[in-house]
Amino acid sequence: MAVYKRNYKPYEGILTPNWSRFLVPARYALETLFQSRLLIAFLVGSCMMPIFAGAVIYLHHNLSALTMLQIRPEHLLPIDGDFFAAYLSFQGALAFLFTAYAGPGLISPDLSNSALPLYLCRPISRTEYVLSKMAVLCIPLSCITWIPGLFLFSMQAGLQGQGWGWDHIHWAWALFAGSWLWIGMLSLLAMSLSAWVRWKLAASALLFGVFFISSALGAMVNEALDTRAGNILSLGYVIGMIWAKMFQLPPRSTLFGDMFNIRRGDEVPEYMAWLVVAMLCGACILLLNRRLRAREVVS
Amino acid sequence: MTIETESRQEIAKGQPVAGMPAVEFRNVSKFYGDVLGVNRVNLSIPPGITSLVGPNGSGKTTLMNLMTGLIRPTCGDIRVLGLSSEDPERFFRAVGYCTQFDSFEKGITGRRFVEYSLKLHGYSSEEARQGAHDALARVNLLDAADRKAAGYSKGMRQRLRLAQSIAHRPSVLVLDEPLNGLDPMARAETLALFEQFGAEGSHVIISSHILHEVDQISDQVILLSYGYVVAEGKIKGVRDEVKEHPMQILIRCDRPAVLAARAFDLEMVVEAKVVPAEGHHGPGLLIRTRDADEFYLALNRIVLETGLRLESVAPADDDVLAVYQYLIGSEGGGE
Amino acid sequence: MPPVIELDNLEVRLGARTILKKLNGSLSGRAIGLLGPNGAGKSTLINTLLGFFAPLSGTARIFGKDIRTDARALRRLIGYMPENDSFIADMTAVRFVRMMAELSGLPPDEALERTHEAFYYVGLGEARYRNLGTYSLGMKQMAKLAQAIAHGPKLLFLDEPTNGLDPAARVRMIKLIREIRETRDIHLMISSHLLRDVEECCEEVLILKDGQIAAYCDLEKERRSNLNFIELETMGIESVFANAIERLGCDFADLGQGRFKMVLTDGVTVSDLYRLAAEKDVQIRRLNHRHDSLEHIFLKAMEAPANHGSV
Repeated sequence: MAVYKRNYKPYEGILTPNWSRFLVPARYALETLFQSRLLIAFLVGSCMMPIFAGAVIYLHHNLSALTMLQIRPEHLLPIDGDFFAAYLSFQGALAFLFTAYAGPGLISPDLSNSALPLYLCRPISRTEYVLSKMAVLCIPLSCITWIPGLFLFSMQAGLQGQGWGWDHIHWAWALFAGSWLWIGMLSLLAMSLSAWVRWKLAASALLFGVFFISSALGAMVNEALDTRAGNILSLGYVIGMIWAKMFQLPPRSTLFGDMFNIRRGDEVPEYMAWLVVAMLCGACILLLNRRLRAREVVS
Repeated sequence: MTIETESRQEIAKGQPVAGMPAVEFRNVSKFYGDVLGVNRVNLSIPPGITSLVGPNGSGKTTLMNLMTGLIRPTCGDIRVLGLSSEDPERFFRAVGYCTQFDSFEKGITGRRFVEYSLKLHGYSSEEARQGAHDALARVNLLDAADRKAAGYSKGMRQRLRLAQSIAHRPSVLVLDEPLNGLDPMARAETLALFEQFGAEGSHVIISSHILHEVDQISDQVILLSYGYVVAEGKIKGVRDEVKEHPMQILIRCDRPAVLAARAFDLEMVVEAKVVPAEGHHGPGLLIRTRDADEFYLALNRIVLETGLRLESVAPADDDVLAVYQYLIGSEGGGE
Repeated sequence: MPPVIELDNLEVRLGARTILKKLNGSLSGRAIGLLGPNGAGKSTLINTLLGFFAPLSGTARIFGKDIRTDARALRRLIGYMPENDSFIADMTAVRFVRMMAELSGLPPDEALERTHEAFYYVGLGEARYRNLGTYSLGMKQMAKLAQAIAHGPKLLFLDEPTNGLDPAARVRMIKLIREIRETRDIHLMISSHLLRDVEECCEEVLILKDGQIAAYCDLEKERRSNLNFIELETMGIESVFANAIERLGCDFADLGQGRFKMVLTDGVTVSDLYRLAAEKDVQIRRLNHRHDSLEHIFLKAMEAPANHGSV
């Protein structure tokens, strides 16, 4: 008979490539996230709008279906800039909700019991850690925003033919870049809030708060100074404006803007809007840099 | 200068008075809802240094909280030097508690913390200042006393808690893991401080996991497991009581076989096991005997008669750790 | 043995204070103890070697690799068991350790295998499937140790490994550490305030004081040195024995309660002591040759002026 004794043995097997390490936290976080039925239902639900839009596009090119449904072609939604902009707006709002749910749980569990030193004593840098957590948001958010959006665009381009796609390529670009702008800003915001605030619910509330309060602030400034320039403070407005410029349309109001009567107008030059976004992202990155330290130095 | 309790004055310096009220537990039980804290504890702790030993969750902290009047027992009666927590004025002045965890008010300095604590005991501002100074000096925290407590290192926070517990000169000092986080020199100094208190006639009750340290200075020991007191008394006495386990003595010498032969001739020796040389230690013999005293006396004769050269003689289980392992074992005691 | 850790004029400043002042040395033991009073720079040294703090000047090398330039490669070889709580509350222990192992470069399947091996080794049974937030202190320590060894590091940093453990768990932890030490290909650095733990586990000890190296000794060598320094514990009529020893003419100290320390002069042997004991009916309950124990070494190091950072 053989008796086996278990001893500590060093590891001598193969290693995963260096660059792929940063995906590890993302994988784990996504696994945990997708255990939630609510989330999966939400993601399924966010396909509704793209499907509806797809149906509209289809109907545009299918006379027989139209006559079957007894809809007159004039009554159908036109496929123009407004169409895609509205799509982005709506899905953007859904993306916001998703982030409010999934974002706060990303970094705060690692910080609340000082697990970060254990991460950082391994071959992963702080940047990779942040990118990894961002990927947890970016991937689902992309699936909500620009992926179906581009699909719709190519569907329309394909059905319409005659170089329609090339003529209106700026809409595709607007969908792509506009989504990424939104995704980037939301992720950074959610992660910095998650790193700053321990309680997940509070971080979610703060995310709403950032937009709500900024819109309110914008309205207040407008009233106080009798101008429309206060709009710059309203994040919803700022993003709406950048999107509008990308689609070459007058700006729409987004996210809480309606509540505060922040409507279309060109009082705020575009570069200022970009500046605001850049400042916000910069502030988030600074906050993350400050909070994500292996060891706090007490001076 | 300071407010002294009548009981303090009753204690003769150095000599425990016979029949003197000790810290007494009479049939004390404490339950937290359904969860057991301690059950049917009967103790009478005399002055001197007593160590409280047991796994996490065995009831040590409960016992300490009961002793210091922070919680009331579910049933039973606790008297500290004849006082009970029904009489808070005198009770809380007689007792000092150095807790395991802490939480300081934001922005408070070490010195202020101790001063406030003294003022709560009724000292005047001037007396509080002086008392705080003395206490901080005793624990070697004077140079950091005016820094914010929130910025203290682990060891400094420990010393601050200690200062706070001794500042009002209690007769009964209860300490929950007081050496946690202290570096070796601070440990030695703090142990010396406790020995001093014990010699003065105070009751010093220390709970600790580092058994060899408390072994050195304690007069008696209380072992807890799963909420029950499994043993209490003087360490040597406790070991002798554990009769199911004969005493083990490890003797390293040049000819263990010869020793073994002679040992088997002694009827109080139940087992002799040859222990191989290990590292820089030579070979030896592990003897188990039912009567340690007789064996040692016999050993004197054996050494002389055989001319054995002894390297070392050591009781292999005459300390708290051994008793702990026999009575509580490695399954732990509370979780 | 090739050096494990080499310190090369290492200087580390945090905020306004220089914590480590030009440390120089070469450490090569299997298990190296790191001792020093609070504030001496022990944690700073460990944090610097782990790459959390950047040195102000100078550098250090672990297994020949520079911590400033090869930090990433090094981190694959290092395991760290921190002193404080370090866990993710709503993850199970298995997931946590597995993720950490994967972060250290193990493929997912191997990571899972090694995770379970590590848990078996440290003695965490069914509890490994529970969330870390529900763990008791002792279990958290074991989980910390498991994550430190799961990826098979070559150098293991243990910071106060017996912190908060009850006596039985302490014994188990020390035993584990000694077993790990016996494995080939792994070195340990153990920082602790408990001299006895360090004495039992380490063969070399680095003592820091005020950011400089106060002493570096090889405990094996110390133990082998032969001093005629004897410690006794007797039981019997005390003063009788004390008088008898005095008449032997040896240097001795009476520590009370039957304990004596003495230096045997030439011509006096242990047998003479036993003769006296037999005559006076005194039991010698404990007898050992006392070598410079770690406590002695430590106290001496604290008193001597620091020798400016050299080993």
